[in-house]
Amino acid sequence: MAGLLLSQSEKLFIVHGVQDDYRSDGRSNLDYRPMELETDLVDTATGSARLRLANTDLLVAVKTEIDVPSPDKPDLGKIEFNVDCSANATPQFEGRGGDQLAVGIANLMQAAYQSSQAFNLKQLCIFEGKQCWKLFVDILILECGGNLCDAVSLAVKAALFNTRIPCVKAILMDGGDVDLQLSDDPFDNKLLDVGTAPLLVTLCKIGDKCVVDPSAEEESCSVVSLIVGITGTPSCYSDQENLAEVGGKFSTIDMNGPGSVAPKTLKDAINQGIVAAKLLDKALAKALINERKENIRTKKSSYGFLK
Amino acid sequence: MPLDYRRFNGPEDSVSYKRFTKGYLKSYDELYKESLDDKGVRKDGRALSEARSLFARTDMVSQAKGSSYVELRKTKVVCSVFDPREIPHQNEFSQLGQIFCEVKFAPFSCPRRRRPHVPDAEEKALSVALRKALEPTVCRHMFPNYQVDVFIYILENDGSCLSAAINAAGLALADAAVPMYDVITSCTVAIVGEKMFVDPTEAEENLATISPSTPINHGIITLSMLSELKQISDFTQVGSMDVECVVKAMDILDKECARLVPLMQKVLVANVLKCFETRKRLEEEANEKEQLLNAKMDEWKKLLKFT
Amino acid sequence: MTSHVKIRLASERVNHSVTTNNDLPRFYTPGEVVTGMEDFMRGHGTYAVDDSLKAAVAGVMQKVNKLICIRPRKNRYVGEIGDVIVGRVLEVQQRRWKVDTNSRLDSVLQLSAVNLPGGELRRRSAEDEQMMRKHLQEGDLISAEVQSVFSDGSLSLHTRSLKYGKLGQGILIKVFPSYIKRRKNHFHHLPCGISVIIGNNGYIWITPAGQTNVVEGDDDEMAAVELQTVSRSDRDTMARVRNCIMALAASKMMLDDTSIMFAYEESLKYDDVKDLLDPEAMLDVAFLTQHRINYVVEE
Repeated sequence: MAGLLLSQSEKLFIVHGVQDDYRSDGRSNLDYRPMELETDLVDTATGSARLRLANTDLLVAVKTEIDVPSPDKPDLGKIEFNVDCSANATPQFEGRGGDQLAVGIANLMQAAYQSSQAFNLKQLCIFEGKQCWKLFVDILILECGGNLCDAVSLAVKAALFNTRIPCVKAILMDGGDVDLQLSDDPFDNKLLDVGTAPLLVTLCKIGDKCVVDPSAEEESCSVVSLIVGITGTPSCYSDQENLAEVGGKFSTIDMNGPGSVAPKTLKDAINQGIVAAKLLDKALAKALINERKENIRTKKSSYGFLK
Repeated sequence: MPLDYRRFNGPEDSVSYKRFTKGYLKSYDELYKESLDDKGVRKDGRALSEARSLFARTDMVSQAKGSSYVELRKTKVVCSVFDPREIPHQNEFSQLGQIFCEVKFAPFSCPRRRRPHVPDAEEKALSVALRKALEPTVCRHMFPNYQVDVFIYILENDGSCLSAAINAAGLALADAAVPMYDVITSCTVAIVGEKMFVDPTEAEENLATISPSTPINHGIITLSMLSELKQISDFTQVGSMDVECVVKAMDILDKECARLVPLMQKVLVANVLKCFETRKRLEEEANEKEQLLNAKMDEWKKLLKFT
Repeated sequence: MTSHVKIRLASERVNHSVTTNNDLPRFYTPGEVVTGMEDFMRGHGTYAVDDSLKAAVAGVMQKVNKLICIRPRKNRYVGEIGDVIVGRVLEVQQRRWKVDTNSRLDSVLQLSAVNLPGGELRRRSAEDEQMMRKHLQEGDLISAEVQSVFSDGSLSLHTRSLKYGKLGQGILIKVFPSYIKRRKNHFHHLPCGISVIIGNNGYIWITPAGQTNVVEGDDDEMAAVELQTVSRSDRDTMARVRNCIMALAASKMMLDDTSIMFAYEESLKYDDVKDLLDPEAMLDVAFLTQHRINYVVEE
């Protein structure tokens, strides 16, 4: 984040540390800080998740509405991302201060979820050409402590995993209009297939190496960072054994910051990104499935934001 | 006509008539057949790895400090660069100069739909991408606290408009004598399965964005290079593809960007030569006139001596 | 290439509290009457209304003879003369530097309050004024002592001693100033081979022991010292100390050289320094440290 002042020798210390593959808090270049996750904590949304990564704190809520599919894609549903940089995070976000950052992240998420290999929009179709589900994914940034993109993608995937869409009992055609009958039983709903949903990994170039999960200090030492979106592995999210080994493909790559990179660094970085994304995906799947199992056994109690 | 923001603007409900033509809803295979025949020749007669011929010239807008026009067959882009000016609405001193980019589509530029006057998400995303691509090449420390405005107007869009815009902006910046580290060039590739369409047309781009039913690679990559410094200034990818595919595409784009450099240099040099020749011609004319005048003077002097 | 990712659930959240005895001190909330006005003096965090003294912040009471203060847990630094602080230069101004010291107002370091190269007793010439940015730049970290407090509460600093001055390579940690225990000495060379400066203002500086403040010596020598790479073993120890301090701060424990050293020793059972980022490990270290401190106090 901008505005963080560091002295030359502090920067040097960080750069040497990255060169040595040993960062200020003992992590290697590929290590993430511990994260904390909770899903299903907003009652008014169809799915929600809260993720805390060191000082970065996010709340993601999914709202479902019914929409008409666009004419050139009659069998696909819709998904839309909105990022809200709350002024609670830093005073810089006050007014329109966070807009540029918010639009940047929302565009990145939209690009990452575009391909059907990343997120299959066919599952949101209700009646081809007439009605489909539209998912509004609202991302609220409550605290901002570096590495926003990674945290956003993790929290979004968790929230989508948690999203339950009511089952459609009957579709009546009345003239040209469609009349839907939805089940009003809260337990009669279907889950989304989010196994392949992409995760973003930010690779911050410091010196001539790249690190994942940079702290705010490390971010201010780097002039350019690479963001790769990598599709998830569905086999982690389901008990079925016979799923094909798909995923691990790039759904988006973007560069951030005013600097430039050499082609070789870029190639190394994207390989590093894939390794990191696979591990992230596995850890996320484990946490989500654990939580789901726990909630089946006992009644869910919300922990929320208190520390 | 600008929109009235104080009013509640309803959605525009007119649609393109093409929706009701036969060709509107073609299947994926039909589209694929159309773009590439069995012999590997594209619709416009190019081979897969063949880029469109580039036409470029500078000094297109006489009142701008520097300007350029770039044409890739049917993709036509105008760029103008204006004098540096103090950054408006900013109190803090910024050590580095800033680049302000605006990309605008002409309302009639796209084959599928009419573009609205208000900047939409795609235009904003393109503006950001353009700024990110240009930042590493401009010597921004030479004009602290000032900003350079770069305006791009896309007259016609037939694919690869971001690369065309970057190429045009590079030319216009050089024409405006803004100090730069290197000539910046850019190229796009569209990927469908194993095939890589270099410098794709709009139809080919569209084909690459549609998600195929089989899990094959697809997507679009745009890369901009500072070829002399061997640095990548911007890299964007959407779609879904694996590592080998990205690496292969990078090599192709790398070569393609390097191929454009001499062309750009030629355009710039041609412009200088033209100016030089104009000046020489003007000087010669002036000389001739002076000689004539001198001759006349001599005649008169002789006449005066006689009398 | 190995990577390490850990995502825990909120239900597994760790409570960082390490209080062993249950006698919590009395807490006051803003507006609460602390005591009557008679023979008491109004201190920080209190205000007087009618005949009573009321709390202005939420916290615990502190009584020194007749002076009554309410100390909040989260406070900005309130400077006192003689305090050792670590600060960051924010601005270079006419004959002085603006320094961020975590107090309410930015502190001031006068050009006349620093040791310039070439002897202590030297007149400050106009040249020195122009060379100020050579000496200390925006963003530089310094250690300094509070020389005086202005009437508005802002601090005037000085670095007129060899132990103060610009800081080289190292790690800065920010904690609340209320966690810092006041001691005679705030410069510590820990037995594990690194030095810490525990600033009274809540900024803690960790640096390899070899790195002394480089004030004297010519510019080339200074640059050479500053550019040296820190060895891997030093880095390891520094990271461990950093994580220990973070663990203690998360459990709201007082920080001084003893508690840091205890925490360091307790943390040695975790081989990998990054394991100390896990909340369980942090709590474990803080808990064991608290026990050792209690034990020492009882003795």
